[in-house]
Amino acid sequence: MRTFKFKRSLTLVAVSSLLSITVVSIPTAAQATPVCTTASGVTTCLGATSDTAPYMLMTPANFNGTVYLYSHGYRPNVPVPAGIPGYGGYTVTNTPEPAPGGNAQIIGTLLAKGYAVMGSGFARQGWNADSAIKTNVELIGVFKKQYPKTTKVVAWGNSLGGFITQALAEQYPDLISAAAPLCMASDLTPLMTMAGDALWGIKTFFDPTIKGGGYSAGAAGYAEAMGDLVKVFTVIGAMQAAIAANPTAPAWPATSKVPDALKAVPSRSALVLIALMSGVPMQSAHFDSTSAPAGLPASSALSFQLAINPALAALENLANAAALAVLATHDVEQQAGGAIFDNTATDYSARVSAEQFIWSSALSGNAGVGALLGYLAAVPRVKGNPAAIAKMATLTTHTGKVEVPTILFTGTADPVTTPGNQQAVIDKYAAYSAEKWAAAKKAGDRKRPANNQLALWNFPPEKYSKFTAAGSPDTTVAAATGTNHCNFTVSQYLAIADLLAYAADNGKNMSGGALYTKIRKAGNMTYDRGYSAPKLKYYGE
Amino acid sequence: MIRKTRIKRTWLAAAVIASGSLLATALPANAETGVSASEIKLGITLPLTGAASPGYSKIGNAMDAYFKYVNDNGGVYGRKVTLIQKNDEYSPQLSIAKTNELILRDKVFALVGPLGTANFTAVHKSVGLAKRKVPALFLNTGFSGFSNKKSYPSSFMILPSYAMEAKIIAQFLKENHAGKKLGIVYQNDEFGIDGLGAFKAAGTKFDVSIPYTSGTQSAATAQTWVSQLAAGGAQVVVFFGVTSATAPLLAVAAAAKYAPQWILGSVGSDPLTLRALGVPVAVLNGAQTPAGNPSPNDTSDEYVKQFQEINTKYNAGTAFDDYVLQGMNIGLMTVQALRAAGKNLTRKRLVRAMETKGSTFASVAYSPLGFSRTSNVGHTGYYMAVMDANGDRKPFGGSVTLYTTDSGSGPVVKSTFKRPAMPAKGLPSNS
Repeated sequence: MRTFKFKRSLTLVAVSSLLSITVVSIPTAAQATPVCTTASGVTTCLGATSDTAPYMLMTPANFNGTVYLYSHGYRPNVPVPAGIPGYGGYTVTNTPEPAPGGNAQIIGTLLAKGYAVMGSGFARQGWNADSAIKTNVELIGVFKKQYPKTTKVVAWGNSLGGFITQALAEQYPDLISAAAPLCMASDLTPLMTMAGDALWGIKTFFDPTIKGGGYSAGAAGYAEAMGDLVKVFTVIGAMQAAIAANPTAPAWPATSKVPDALKAVPSRSALVLIALMSGVPMQSAHFDSTSAPAGLPASSALSFQLAINPALAALENLANAAALAVLATHDVEQQAGGAIFDNTATDYSARVSAEQFIWSSALSGNAGVGALLGYLAAVPRVKGNPAAIAKMATLTTHTGKVEVPTILFTGTADPVTTPGNQQAVIDKYAAYSAEKWAAAKKAGDRKRPANNQLALWNFPPEKYSKFTAAGSPDTTVAAATGTNHCNFTVSQYLAIADLLAYAADNGKNMSGGALYTKIRKAGNMTYDRGYSAPKLKYYGE
Repeated sequence: MIRKTRIKRTWLAAAVIASGSLLATALPANAETGVSASEIKLGITLPLTGAASPGYSKIGNAMDAYFKYVNDNGGVYGRKVTLIQKNDEYSPQLSIAKTNELILRDKVFALVGPLGTANFTAVHKSVGLAKRKVPALFLNTGFSGFSNKKSYPSSFMILPSYAMEAKIIAQFLKENHAGKKLGIVYQNDEFGIDGLGAFKAAGTKFDVSIPYTSGTQSAATAQTWVSQLAAGGAQVVVFFGVTSATAPLLAVAAAAKYAPQWILGSVGSDPLTLRALGVPVAVLNGAQTPAGNPSPNDTSDEYVKQFQEINTKYNAGTAFDDYVLQGMNIGLMTVQALRAAGKNLTRKRLVRAMETKGSTFASVAYSPLGFSRTSNVGHTGYYMAVMDANGDRKPFGGSVTLYTTDSGSGPVVKSTFKRPAMPAKGLPSNS
């Protein structure tokens, strides 16, 4: 197998998608009463809710009574110093975001149709669902007070904002007419289990000096977390270089302390195992796990397809998952009061048993995966703080019990909020619906309760990896649709907005030909009731 | 992936309804996906290009040729059978995408002959065949895990399992190569492990054991295998892998003048493909192999003769080998399954027909079929064969001695089973 060169660091490409924060406008001050200005027929109001969270309301002159409430995604609650790969220079911000990414086209289109938009920046960043729900409830009141002709509120949100949106719909059906959780996070415990497993795997195989959790309080803990970010991205960079230099048998990073015997297994296989055991998808922004550079001999091409490409996909996605793991673990530990990750009872062999044969070549066969799992079984595990874990579990969780129409949409190769997050809510709603149907039948009602949940998926193309003329992976091209975190197009967002408006107006989701036409025009949106995404590993298969 | 055709003109709709009612006298109205009054759409994923394609790429065309033959002779209750082939390049991720295309875009009625253990594992899990209740008939893999009826309720095997194969080879080793130093080269995944576990259970101890990872087979890796086998003094070498690995192994061994008694597993032993991949026929001479079917050159066999005729007419220019024979046979069995499901064809009825009538189907293979309400096991046995100086395969000992067994701890027994006769003109008339 020939070597190749990357034009660009994978970490820079991958992690940047996690921090898609667009500043729309910064409120001048927290205000109990909004300060409004009108320009070009749009009134923009800035203020702050009682928790000091700044908000923004944008209302057209021809306001039709429906307002979109957007909840933004996860923003770290600590600054990330310059120099840290992919992340450096982030400063904590609570800038309000009234639409996805503050996108002007989305906002403009909605306003032109007579809809209003609004969003809070939330008072606290990091995992803030409980407080953000309260903030949003208050914000709805603020808007209605400002615009008494308001008839409907539709909620939507990305990632953590998707979690908040689903929770709003479950808890406040009287306030929300329809909701669209997008690329949503599900409950914190399963989500942090995925992140923790990914980070622990990187630590265990590649750099045991990564702390990975149990961060100290205050400034010391912050320094530990930032140090972990540096170490994680150093590992990612080292693995990228090693695979480029020797795709078939890349060297183990110098920081790795695995036994020499284990180093007979190619280090790339450890990446694949980490992805599989944590539930990180095996398709990434630039690696489809199917393609090979043109011009390779047939046997080398097959090897690239089955072994090298999947390893690169795992590497690229793990950069995202591990970044989330460090920042969110540090954040949630502070809120919960101790270490939240505990894998003392985790059976990693069971975690991968259903998939290890599918990715056999990438895992270097049964011998390879056996050796890697054997090592994981032998090394010490992480013991969490029971009180902290219990406290984490008391934070808001989804019940799936929702009466208003909801529209779910996610990429099936999202490496941060994997599709299993959306599937978890689908499964909960299915259980709730079954429960309602059983109760209805018991009461003599033969009419099955309506299905008010519309689940849409964004599948990556079957082949999308690009290679340079020299045969090197080209990671300078845009991330493929269906990959990366919340990687949606404006057309997709606007289709969701239309579906929300329909649902709010009709009390049910769009269906039939109208739905198919809507999503077909938007592109890369699939409605397939036969599809089930892989469950989050926390839930098992 | 989602298509919805809307017929806008009422006159056209009326015409369709009218023609449908006329046909209803001959065939019942059918609302099942992939089935119309005139057509049954089937799909298959397999490697049509790439390193894994030699041999395998012929299976789909052979099936298609058989279906065309059936279609020219009235089809299945008047419906023509259409096969859509998708090239998955042997990549499980691509198998998922291609199967989704078959089910969601092409809207096939069933999958037939999907190839590859990792591939079908991925497809079954990710596409959700069981949830969708899409039948998958006659899997081109012998992984015994697929015989788990609870996990694979709508899937049916055709090949004896790799575990069965290993048990039969183990018995053969005891009877014919006792006392010799044994070596094995095996694909180190569920394919090889399935076999290795059965060898171990049968008490076979290999002096040299060489696993290889699928996708790494090449002349360079074969060099290391041969070195290890020779250094270990292996006198009898069992190979449990795919043809694209058999070829470099035999070629490198021949160049090194290392000539053990080869026992080539059924998956990687097609002589024509091996010769096409550069293995000298002299190297194949004397190699032993478990075989389920007669030699594709045995024109005294009624199945082979009929299939060769079909191949000549409907698959012109394609050399008739084990893969073509296998493809034709899957076609034959598929047509019997479709017929057994009745005129009012549904996926549910097809699965039921496989369970209740599948064990009676005519098949070129010598061993019994294990289909029942509780079993999706296909063929259950092998005979041992030996390759001659022309690269042809003859029964070991001069006549077919059939061994049957199961994938578990059941014994290997000599069987007197007589396979059903080939339907007249190769056209099933079962119901």
